[in-house]
Amino acid sequence: MDQARIEGRKILIIGYGSPIRGDDAIGPLVADRLQAEGMPEGVEVISRHILTAELVADLVEHDRVVFLDAAVDGAPGEVRCRSLAPDASAMSTMAHFLDPRELLAWCETLYDKVPETFLISACGSSFDYSNYVLTPTAEAAIEPMLDWVRRLIDPSGCVSWLSKPTDGDATHGETGSPTLIL
Amino acid sequence: MSRTVIIEPVTRIEGHARITLQLGDAGEVEDAKFHLTQFRGFEKFCEGRPYREMPALTARTCGICPVSHVLASNKACDHLLSVSIPPTGEKLRRIINLAQLTQSHALSFFHLSSPDLLLGWDSDPVSRNIFGVMRQDPALAKDGIRLRQIGQTIIETLGGKKIHPTWVVPGGVSEPLTQEKRDAMLALLPEGLDIAKRTYAFFKTLVPKFKDEANHFGSQPTMFLSLVSPKGHLEHYDGFLRLKDAQGRILEDMVPPHEYERLIGEAVEDFSYMKFPYYKPQGYPKGIYRVGPLARLNNVDTCGTPYADVALAEFHMLQESGPIASSFHYHYARLVEIIYALEMMERLLKDPTILDARVRARARSNRYEGIGVAEAPRGLLMHHYRIDDEGLITWVNLIIATGHNNLAMNQSIRQVADAYVDGNNLQEGMLNRVEAVIRCFDPCLSCASHAFGEMPLAIELKDATGRVVDTLRRG
Repeated sequence: MDQARIEGRKILIIGYGSPIRGDDAIGPLVADRLQAEGMPEGVEVISRHILTAELVADLVEHDRVVFLDAAVDGAPGEVRCRSLAPDASAMSTMAHFLDPRELLAWCETLYDKVPETFLISACGSSFDYSNYVLTPTAEAAIEPMLDWVRRLIDPSGCVSWLSKPTDGDATHGETGSPTLIL
Repeated sequence: MSRTVIIEPVTRIEGHARITLQLGDAGEVEDAKFHLTQFRGFEKFCEGRPYREMPALTARTCGICPVSHVLASNKACDHLLSVSIPPTGEKLRRIINLAQLTQSHALSFFHLSSPDLLLGWDSDPVSRNIFGVMRQDPALAKDGIRLRQIGQTIIETLGGKKIHPTWVVPGGVSEPLTQEKRDAMLALLPEGLDIAKRTYAFFKTLVPKFKDEANHFGSQPTMFLSLVSPKGHLEHYDGFLRLKDAQGRILEDMVPPHEYERLIGEAVEDFSYMKFPYYKPQGYPKGIYRVGPLARLNNVDTCGTPYADVALAEFHMLQESGPIASSFHYHYARLVEIIYALEMMERLLKDPTILDARVRARARSNRYEGIGVAEAPRGLLMHHYRIDDEGLITWVNLIIATGHNNLAMNQSIRQVADAYVDGNNLQEGMLNRVEAVIRCFDPCLSCASHAFGEMPLAIELKDATGRVVDTLRRG
């Protein structure tokens, strides 16, 4: 990302997940925390139950996008940050739930423009019913997720090495660039 | 030797449905069934909850049209309170309902059905998807995204950006509209209407190409049930029930929604978790009817907005006379309704009383029973609650649009199978047409019914002993 783009940057943060499925609510809850502490100019925060098609129009209007989500493929409480690249093969068969990499593929195919994108995820331990209440393990993951967001929206602390996707042993559209685990 | 064809969507998460086709000795279709294999039990686990929780609880029924459940549920609560909603509160509720309809219909047309309509039923399934549409007609795909964005933006402007907005409340809405928000929404509508009109004009050019599908995609005679306004106009929020028969004769008219039980019975079959509503006076299963955009346009005398009325007149020309029979024309009806919704939202937002501060009536429960009925994008949505002296729910009945259409969907699958399925030589295009007729109804079976046309399917031919003699898999 060149300096001019950083200075005039527009950043979109999207927390997503079901608010009533236990630790799946961590994305929206982190988004709520960010809203409460206030974001610098040019940074917008939204929450979604699920990712839907119209978000594509928002994504292409931003230089950097940060998705916040829960994960199941790691140790409970583990927080990861990785860059994402477009991946049409991540196409969902569900019309009302889209993978972020598919949304990026829509951006690329339709608008020839893809924002620099990161996914910050925290592994949950329970996805049973609870309304915006996390397990203590997931609760403890909120602060590390917030730390990651703060680094990604801070132009002077730009995580440049994460922002350059490379072809590696990536799976499911992950870029193969280093994944940070906190 | 008779055989059974099973079409089983293997969805990853919620929303599971299966189709079975029973074949005779010569490979002809003897029976067809549409099974909803998912059980959720909302009606049961809501028992014991305070009635004021019902809008929030039932909104979780659906990830794609929670606004519809919020409205029907709050209307049932209004009934429990025995209040009249302030006129401005009602207008604001109407706007959010129309915004929901706009984005839901846009999803159905642009993202779910356009791969078939643009690329063809028998095109390569590898590219018969939304990316295929983007490559074939990027402008159309962008229009679909923008139209959904406009609908979603209006919902968020009114309801807030929370995942499950609580702006609609028993008695009205929680906050009046500000001029700033009104102006922001009004600014979106001309572009939305332009998109809707050019999409409609484009689709009209496609319709003649689908004469065969129109003849076989659920074109059997049924009745049509919907709300209409007191003047017989298109209505999505309130009004009265109207039922027409296949010849266009009005069998029931101006029936207060609270009397729905006089018209509708609900049957149960052992092969599906979805109920089978039917028109009581004709019994089960003869009392088959359809709801949704096709029924609404068939039932009304006029839409009541300029461009939608022109489109309605053209809609009626799809057939020589009588109500439009083919379920294929649900697509057409959706586009007419999008035009209507955008025109009507503009009219409501320009209403001189829309900024009034009085938007909510307050009361405690004054009845033991409340019924709320509204038109969801897919058709009539009915919420019916009973409460005790403490305001706790003792009984719930929900009849959703997809349920109303259950008999018709089963009938339509049979018709498509009769027309296209060759049990001795299964082809992918056959599977796609079976999916496509379901897609015409845009059923809300959670995820399974919202597949992009690449719904993972396994289709097996079994002989009478259960031995698999042929298999096709996709996805």
